[in-house]
Amino acid sequence: MTEMTIDVWLYGALSRYGGAAREPSYAHLSVVLPEGSTMRNLLAKIGLPTEERGITFISAQLSAMPGLQPDLDHVLLDGDRVGLFDPRSMWPFQYRHGAAMCKEMERALNEEDTALHHSYEGDG
Amino acid sequence: MWIVRVDMSDRSYRLQDVSAAYKLLGGRGLTSTIVSEEVPPLCHPLGPNNKLVFAPGIVTGTSAATSARISVGGKSPLTGGIKEANAGSSWAPAVANLGIKAIVVEGQPKDKDKYWLIHLTWDAQAGKPKLEFLPADEYTGKDLYEVFPKLYARFGVKANIAACGVAGEYGYGNSGVCFNDMHQAPTRYSGRGGLGSVMASKGLKAIVADATGGPGVTIVDKALFDQGRKKLADALRSHAITKPKGGLNSYGTAILINILNEAGGLPTRNFSSGRFEGAAKIAGEAIFEGNKQRLGKELYNHACSPGCIIQCSNTWYGKDGKEQVSCQEYESVWSLGANCGIDDLDVTGELIRLCNAYGLDTIEAGTTLGVAMAAGVIPFGDGKGAIKLLHEMGKGTPQGRILGAGTATTGRVYGVTNVPVVKGQSMPAYEPRAVKGIGITYATSTMGADHTAGYTICPEILSVGGKADPLSPEGKAALSRAFQATTAFIDSTGHCLFIAFAILDIPSGFEGMVEEANAVLGANWTGDDVVKVGSAILKKERAFNEAAGIGKEADRMPEFMKLEPLPPHNQVFDVPDAALDSVYGEL
Repeated sequence: MTEMTIDVWLYGALSRYGGAAREPSYAHLSVVLPEGSTMRNLLAKIGLPTEERGITFISAQLSAMPGLQPDLDHVLLDGDRVGLFDPRSMWPFQYRHGAAMCKEMERALNEEDTALHHSYEGDG
Repeated sequence: MWIVRVDMSDRSYRLQDVSAAYKLLGGRGLTSTIVSEEVPPLCHPLGPNNKLVFAPGIVTGTSAATSARISVGGKSPLTGGIKEANAGSSWAPAVANLGIKAIVVEGQPKDKDKYWLIHLTWDAQAGKPKLEFLPADEYTGKDLYEVFPKLYARFGVKANIAACGVAGEYGYGNSGVCFNDMHQAPTRYSGRGGLGSVMASKGLKAIVADATGGPGVTIVDKALFDQGRKKLADALRSHAITKPKGGLNSYGTAILINILNEAGGLPTRNFSSGRFEGAAKIAGEAIFEGNKQRLGKELYNHACSPGCIIQCSNTWYGKDGKEQVSCQEYESVWSLGANCGIDDLDVTGELIRLCNAYGLDTIEAGTTLGVAMAAGVIPFGDGKGAIKLLHEMGKGTPQGRILGAGTATTGRVYGVTNVPVVKGQSMPAYEPRAVKGIGITYATSTMGADHTAGYTICPEILSVGGKADPLSPEGKAALSRAFQATTAFIDSTGHCLFIAFAILDIPSGFEGMVEEANAVLGANWTGDDVVKVGSAILKKERAFNEAAGIGKEADRMPEFMKLEPLPPHNQVFDVPDAALDSVYGEL
């Protein structure tokens, strides 16, 4: 089976899932996965429970927010850069209006009519 | 309440009753109204006809949460248009508690080399505020970290200080008005647009305010105020972004460095990329962990001013465990870090400290250094060189004066085409080619490029955007218009704009903000009035700019952003001119 490499950045408290690549405030690692793997497969590979992540990017496209994770079945591509944030991290609407997001996220925000809001429902 | 009129030509003052027309105004609404009615739009910003106006917000000085903002207005030496810059500081409630709605500084002394300070106190016998004019030459030409302790030693710990730094004395387009933080340090700035120079041009070095004995702020309807105050405070305490140990309190505004970097929207090396490889080293998470390592404990952020629930200000500790600077804000760490190719928090900390010391706006300083680096004056990433250039600005050397004039002037002097400014003011830390919504606001704001010009709250209540598709250029323009009006309202209340994060999502918090303002003023505003009141302010600002020769032709992004695709999205700024024109055309 063909393999692919994903460039993974774990920020804040998530750096603890970075293994040897762990720095105090982030971890930067290369993760090798079979071609066709999804976000769900990536999280399983690094042992990160999906509920522990907040804002997520796949190659500069917003793919998840705390409490809103439409990207679990998103198929990753070789060379994708995935950025995973601690749920405490934030991106106020004021500063993301008009920014790029993956199709699953765009759909989810429009369906729930929350496009103008901060989706932090999952945050305690 | 009074409006204090200060004439610096003869150092006199008078207390004026607040006219009916000004009764419902405060903060930005009041400073922009006074400037638009009294300052000739074509006057020289540093000449005798410009005025410098200070106004606390409508609820500033009350127990309303996160409301210690002071608005400063005048004609900007940087943009040539109207300017409003606000800051959080105990100075704001002190002035409000003296019964003062605004201080209007007018005129200019004949002797250009003399400086004065105003000591503002409560005259219990007369039952009104009192101003004394004292010689201030001993405080000029100095680092503000040296000046503030001297003023506190002289006037006592109850003093609150507004001052300009040497950048103002030199007449730089980049010069802020500096206010004290909660530790009496010179770190809180009405930074943008060069108002520090307007202050210095009047021979005014500082206004030292002491509210002891003052009458406080009158609240017309106390029960309504308490109700509104509670609603808003509850919203701030419960929202993930603004609550204690939430996003802002833990990581500060620099929490956005890694986020914008992953989004491909962190302007890097003079806006040549949306990604900085060193971002993780200068982000909010790195500040939090760096302090933890150096102090041996977790350090959460503090309030910049009294009564703030959000508490987003950080302090950076040096290698020796001693305080280096407050505050490593997102915009400052970005402008002096990523935008200059610098990935070291000790270097950005020193650059921020120097901006505070000299009276410079950190955003304009960092974008100026970025343009100087693009010109080859020093290489990108050269921290020592950047520190040296800020010292040149502080010393007022010929090169320092070029840089102090701002990003646009520096670009002209060095022949740089990629100069990230609108209306002469440089862009903050959101790449408009990646985050296009904010680009529309940068282009059209009355203030020049400004990230604080377009905040939104409770879209259901405001019905922002109208019928236009919010993803179309017309829809984005309609949203930008509503956001700018909303912002003008919040800037008038005296609340920090960051309350908008919570009251975008929590309608009762939004109601609380309106109720507080109604309670103080005896007004009857509804949610719908927020955009109307804000729009009225924008119209005045826009009319001033048009009369100053800054019309819709100035509502444009710099050409390079329309021509050069920005990695990693490889997009240009492609919002059509017609959409930009509709923002104010349909106001």
